Amino acid sequence: MNTPSESTQNARSPFVFEAAGLKKDYDDGQVHALRGVDFQIREGEFVAIVGPSGSGKTTLLQMLGALDQPTAGTLKYRGKSLLDLPDPAAYRAHEIGFIFQAFHLLPTFTAIENVQIPMFENHQSRAARRTRALELLKAVGLEQRVNHFPAKLSGGERQRVAIARSLANSPSVLLADEPTGNLDSQSAKHILDLITSLHFDRRMTLILVTHDMSVASRASRAIQTKDGQVVFDGDPAKLPRYE
Amino acid sequence: MAIRQNFPGTNEMTFFDVITRGLKRRPIRTGLTLLGIAVGIAAVVALIGLSRGLVASWTAGMKSRGTEIVVHNMRGSLTPKPFPAATRDRVAHLPGVTATCMILVDLMSVENAELMIVSGREWGCFAWENLKLVSGRMPKDQMERAVLLGTTAADVLKKKVGDTVQIETEELAVVGIVEGAAFVENGSIILSLPLLQQVTGNQDKISAIDVRVAAGTNDAEIRRLCEEMSRLIPEAHADPAGEHLAHTEGYRVINAMSWGTSLLAILVGVLGVTNTMLMSVFERRQEIAILLALGWKRSRIVRMILWESAMLGLLGGIIGVGLGVVGVHLMQTAPAIRGLLEPDLSFNLILMAVTIAVCVGVLSGFYPAWRSSRLTPSLALHG
Repeated sequence: MNTPSESTQNARSPFVFEAAGLKKDYDDGQVHALRGVDFQIREGEFVAIVGPSGSGKTTLLQMLGALDQPTAGTLKYRGKSLLDLPDPAAYRAHEIGFIFQAFHLLPTFTAIENVQIPMFENHQSRAARRTRALELLKAVGLEQRVNHFPAKLSGGERQRVAIARSLANSPSVLLADEPTGNLDSQSAKHILDLITSLHFDRRMTLILVTHDMSVASRASRAIQTKDGQVVFDGDPAKLPRYE
Repeated sequence: MAIRQNFPGTNEMTFFDVITRGLKRRPIRTGLTLLGIAVGIAAVVALIGLSRGLVASWTAGMKSRGTEIVVHNMRGSLTPKPFPAATRDRVAHLPGVTATCMILVDLMSVENAELMIVSGREWGCFAWENLKLVSGRMPKDQMERAVLLGTTAADVLKKKVGDTVQIETEELAVVGIVEGAAFVENGSIILSLPLLQQVTGNQDKISAIDVRVAAGTNDAEIRRLCEEMSRLIPEAHADPAGEHLAHTEGYRVINAMSWGTSLLAILVGVLGVTNTMLMSVFERRQEIAILLALGWKRSRIVRMILWESAMLGLLGGIIGVGLGVVGVHLMQTAPAIRGLLEPDLSFNLILMAVTIAVCVGVLSGFYPAWRSSRLTPSLALHG
């Protein structure tokens, strides 16, 4: 949770994301995943997006990560429309770090190789990529597991590799989709501690999708979605319970 | 540097590593695909190598005899058709022609050999000059009922000096074993022209006239001479020695069949690679979506797929060349063609085969690459 001084500092920070009237339909308009969502997220905030399955939280994450386009509405990143990005891949490569629920490590690559994968778009030398990957694996406490393939790592270790990978290109925003959803409670706590400390240490904006209220309580702000609409936006401590 | 020392076992990673891992992912499928391409390329190497070898070998035989022009009647048929020996008188006097040699050549079954080149040469002409006696002697005169065997022919027929060899209904004495300057001569039975005309019932008929021209005659002058000869003798045709076989209908049929068979085999390879790469893209849909979500450009994904298929082509090509070379050598030992064909396994042919293989790979990768580029990165957040 943010300290009062951090909250005040965030309140003065510029907006990273600004969404207005954001809608997303699937199946030729048969399914309305988002039905006009409005919010702003400031630089350095830790926002939890919560809600039951099918409430639109993952769709929202896709929009923020430029993985998909909204059907209507506006979505801006640092004042510029995400819908008119000339190169969405470059945006994902340099501005965004993704952490997935199922880790999504590439099975034929070792831990250190997985961390290097996003760096191919960075035009770094091989040696620089390797050095950076080693630093990141060390930062997540996996310095002894660099040459292990994902199949030889525990769930918590895999998620640590995935976190290291998400930091590869020093993004300013971390988007995490249920990062503890596939972990036991002990590993989940460690991963959450790690993500939270990275957010503070590196002053990154962290947007975390979860359906777990205890995870959301770690954030400085919670946005609750239901049936594709924002039904709560505020202090996670005041987050209403949902079925 | 400190970190480097802490982890001495770690490797730097290149885009090439990404490509090879993609291929190693399903080793059996990759292996079978490689085999598919390799068979196609082996067919190219073997069949084209042999058909080119046919021309190269005959050309070498001509050149070794100093023949610059060949007058023949092979254009419209698969085998040389005999034409009147008197034709020679119409070309021998042409300016620039220094010597001529009438030849009757036939491919026939001789004893245990299914196909053997039997070459009847005008007695005393220059076509005898390049034959080097390995054992025995030359025939005493053109009417001696004797033959010379090329070294390979002797080996194939299992004959030595003093034995007899049966050609059609005649039994002729083997008086010498000779080595020519070309593979076809070593695989031939050589005898005098009148004797072969008599044995085959082709009295006063020949199938080729080898022509020597004055020293220093250039290619353009040789072509002009060929045109003039062809005009003078409508029943035959004159070609430069290096081209006469390649211009024949028979060679064109052989070449077309070789390419046809090879292209069919290559087509199977193309379908194999396309199928493999499509399967690979389909299996890796989410993986590709993850790469897109991690910031990889679609062009990099397309390059990855194209490089993977090109690698399949390259490796398949290299294996195919190996298989083709081994296959050709096995084919050469087949009784039906032993001593007849010398493959042209030149660097150019091998380079062409490997280039075809790489092109097959790249071509086969286009559709799968296009499919991969259509995948949406949002797939990464599903499942």
